Amino acid sequence: MSKFFYAKLAAINIRKNARIYLPYLLTCIFTVAAYYMMGALSVNPGIDDLEIGSGSLRVTLGLGVWVVSLFACIFIFYTNSFLMKRRKKEIGLYNVLGMGKGHLSRMIFYETVYLAVISLVVGLGLGILLDKAAFLTLANLMQAEVPLGFYVSIGAMRSAVILFGVLFFLIFLNSLRQIHLTNPIELLRGGQLGEKEPKARWLLALIGAAMLGGGYWIAVTITNPVQALTLFFVAVILVILGTYCLFTAGSIAILKLLRKNRSFYYKANHFIAISGMIYRMKQNAVGLANICVLSTMVLVMVSSTFSMYIGMEDMMEKTYPRDMEFLFQGDSEDVTEIFEGKLEEILEQENAEIENVLSYTYLNTSAQKVNDRYIIDPSNQDNGMAVAEYCTITVVTLEEYNRIMGTQKSLEEGEILLYYPEEKNLDSVFPLGEEDWKVREQITEFPDNMQANVMMTTHIGVVVKDKETLLHIDQMRKWPGTEDETTTELESCYSFDLKDHDPQLEERISDKVTYFFSSLYQEVAENGGRLDMIRYYQKSQEEALVMGLVGGLLFVGVFLGALFIMATILIIYYKQISEGYDDKDRFTIMEKVGMDKREIRRTIRSQVLTVFFLPLIMAGIHTAFAFPMISRILQILALQNVGLYILCTVISYLAFVVLYSVIYMLTARTYYKIVS
Amino acid sequence: MSILEVNHLKKVYTTRFGGSHVQALTDVNFSVEQGEFVAIMGESGSGKTTLLNILATLDRPTSGEVLLAGKNVLSIRERELAAFRRDNLGFVFQDFNLLDTFSIQDNIFLPLVLSGKKYPEMKQKLGPIAARLEITSLLKKFPYEVSGGQKQRTAVARALITEPQLILADEPTGALDSRSADSLLRLFEEINRGGQTILMVTHSIKAASSAGRVLFIKDGEVFHQIYRGGRTQEELYQQISDTLTLIATGAAVASAANYLHVEGGARHE
Repeated sequence: MSKFFYAKLAAINIRKNARIYLPYLLTCIFTVAAYYMMGALSVNPGIDDLEIGSGSLRVTLGLGVWVVSLFACIFIFYTNSFLMKRRKKEIGLYNVLGMGKGHLSRMIFYETVYLAVISLVVGLGLGILLDKAAFLTLANLMQAEVPLGFYVSIGAMRSAVILFGVLFFLIFLNSLRQIHLTNPIELLRGGQLGEKEPKARWLLALIGAAMLGGGYWIAVTITNPVQALTLFFVAVILVILGTYCLFTAGSIAILKLLRKNRSFYYKANHFIAISGMIYRMKQNAVGLANICVLSTMVLVMVSSTFSMYIGMEDMMEKTYPRDMEFLFQGDSEDVTEIFEGKLEEILEQENAEIENVLSYTYLNTSAQKVNDRYIIDPSNQDNGMAVAEYCTITVVTLEEYNRIMGTQKSLEEGEILLYYPEEKNLDSVFPLGEEDWKVREQITEFPDNMQANVMMTTHIGVVVKDKETLLHIDQMRKWPGTEDETTTELESCYSFDLKDHDPQLEERISDKVTYFFSSLYQEVAENGGRLDMIRYYQKSQEEALVMGLVGGLLFVGVFLGALFIMATILIIYYKQISEGYDDKDRFTIMEKVGMDKREIRRTIRSQVLTVFFLPLIMAGIHTAFAFPMISRILQILALQNVGLYILCTVISYLAFVVLYSVIYMLTARTYYKIVS
Repeated sequence: MSILEVNHLKKVYTTRFGGSHVQALTDVNFSVEQGEFVAIMGESGSGKTTLLNILATLDRPTSGEVLLAGKNVLSIRERELAAFRRDNLGFVFQDFNLLDTFSIQDNIFLPLVLSGKKYPEMKQKLGPIAARLEITSLLKKFPYEVSGGQKQRTAVARALITEPQLILADEPTGALDSRSADSLLRLFEEINRGGQTILMVTHSIKAASSAGRVLFIKDGEVFHQIYRGGRTQEELYQQISDTLTLIATGAAVASAANYLHVEGGARHE
């Protein structure tokens, strides 16, 4: 026998089975390309040239590489198992005709090698070509300059070859295992062994419903953003598990219940639909649950990253109201004056002007809400409490407040002005620390404060009568383990916009300012004050950081979204094919027994439609329930614009519905070709 | 009164691109009387299946007519065909053609459900039929859980439950072991004695010998027929066997064939 016999046979097999091999091959190619692109992007030196937020972007892309490789493993295995099921008959025939299992193994070995080589070569080629396009898109998303040049990452290529080499080898082993475990008769009969009717597993169905309900309940009832963040994954896991349980057990339990109802069941259309659905659900439940979970992920990911991306500007404006902000922690009367003097010198040197200056002193403290009392003394706070119970309180004096806001408000001893936008109906008494403060007025505006903005907790603003009261509140705080009563959270802030928005000028100023920080410490100490710490923020830098993160997230989100959609297409395609082969026999029997061709077509169509649009509907419901939770989490990231998020979600969902329908119609054609 | 009349039936298959024509039925004429049990025999490719498909209204002839209880089935409109089939014809197939998604009971109910019958009525009809076919204990099971013989009896029950004018059986013993085949044939005879008209297409001499009349088809025509008359099954078996030998050696004994040839459309006295 020719040395190349098996090699040839393998090639012929793949060509003859093009209907099931081509989509599989395409998937492998795209997965390889996607993996390479993600890997190459994450090490692309061009990212450093983007200058903005390259660090956070690299982290995001690196994470994306992991997601893609995990996805590749699951997905290629899933499609391969489908492939083997369809080919069992053919392999059984070879076996009966006298090919031993050793020969079969050789044939399958060659097939796997062909597939692996084609996938890797074409996939890497495609990856290299598309990589540049992806990089351009990414740079564009991040509003950065695009460096020229074409980059090929040997490292990413190597890891792609290794990952997919190992994957294909495992698939080969898995195919061998299947061949060795079965005898030729079984192989010949292949997929059409008498399918057992599935049992109704009520317990599992109920557990699934409970888990789904629990996940939904968490998502809907959480009002605190920080809690939302911590419970988000609990809710996600509950919903995913619940989805799987409901699709596998719940659907069959419900269908069986319907079947028990005789007057409902024994009607021409219900009769065929229900019994058909029971079998369809048995075969497809996991695949459908997969589609449902994948779709939900795509929807949530794309809609939230999109709304973050679009809402970025707004978000940055809120968090960082000014170009530069310097914070001096400590109790000093003249730190601001000294700083201002130095700054003016620098501005003169640089021939720059500033505007929109905000300079004030305040007390910034975290408080814990226990029994409706805001405890600010850390030694009295309960460390076991959830983060959710914390809030940030900023205290300023009336004098500062009136100066900044340009108001003429007045206060008596023991009275305060309160800024607490989250709480609508407040008492006239605000229990802060050990004391009760009379709320003279609720105010709707409070000086911007970056520190409070970047904290994830609720922000409360308090205006007190004078500096003594402010210091008195400061003194309420005793750090555990320190007897030092002079510890202070008093802070002075000096922030401003540059009149001329020149990044290089901003960089020079920031360099020069930081340069004299050490002399600032000294000078304050000499004047009898104290300066514990200096922090400063530059809006442009923060913006770049967030842009890198959000732009990267959006890119990864859309990228993975595209990959997941491709997976969905393939799952649907294979489902249509396998259903087609099963339905073909049923179709003819029903016709002989006396069912109209059009009638059959209609019932089959309605079943197929139900099966394929069920996950889409479930995904919509999941997304709707995820909505309150995600919008709370986005709130932490300072995206307050809920309307924008609603719009993004609706648009994403509609776009997905359209895409899904197109996929369905395309694959349905193959299905009808098989059936008729 | 004849329940089925087939006159000058002709069927020509044209290949997809109209290249060549295959004549499956040349000129078929015969009739079946009410309460008869007729077997149709013939070699592979003699046109048996084509004939049965036309009788079953699953296929249309090129020319000729089929009268069922005096009604020309070829004039029935496409959309009414399914209902016509359901109400007037019962089918028993070689490979049973049970739906694996239904229990035995639901498989039998299928034609009734399609006709919009209510559950109590169906249940009432099922009782005696299931008892007679000895499948009462299987009703809740699924096709993959029962034997071939039991599956075929289910199929018979499904054919009987609509009380059809005519039962069409296509090689009903083909997939059964000899014991199940025997019991199925006895069942057919019994049903036939109850007044049910049966038309069976078969290869098996044994199956054919349980019929009251045997038609032989060759080259798309009714070539010969044998009436059982007063003969025992063994005698009929022998005669069928002889006739088949004759057909097989056809050309050599053309004169003998001529002598035996019965003109199409010959009526039962």
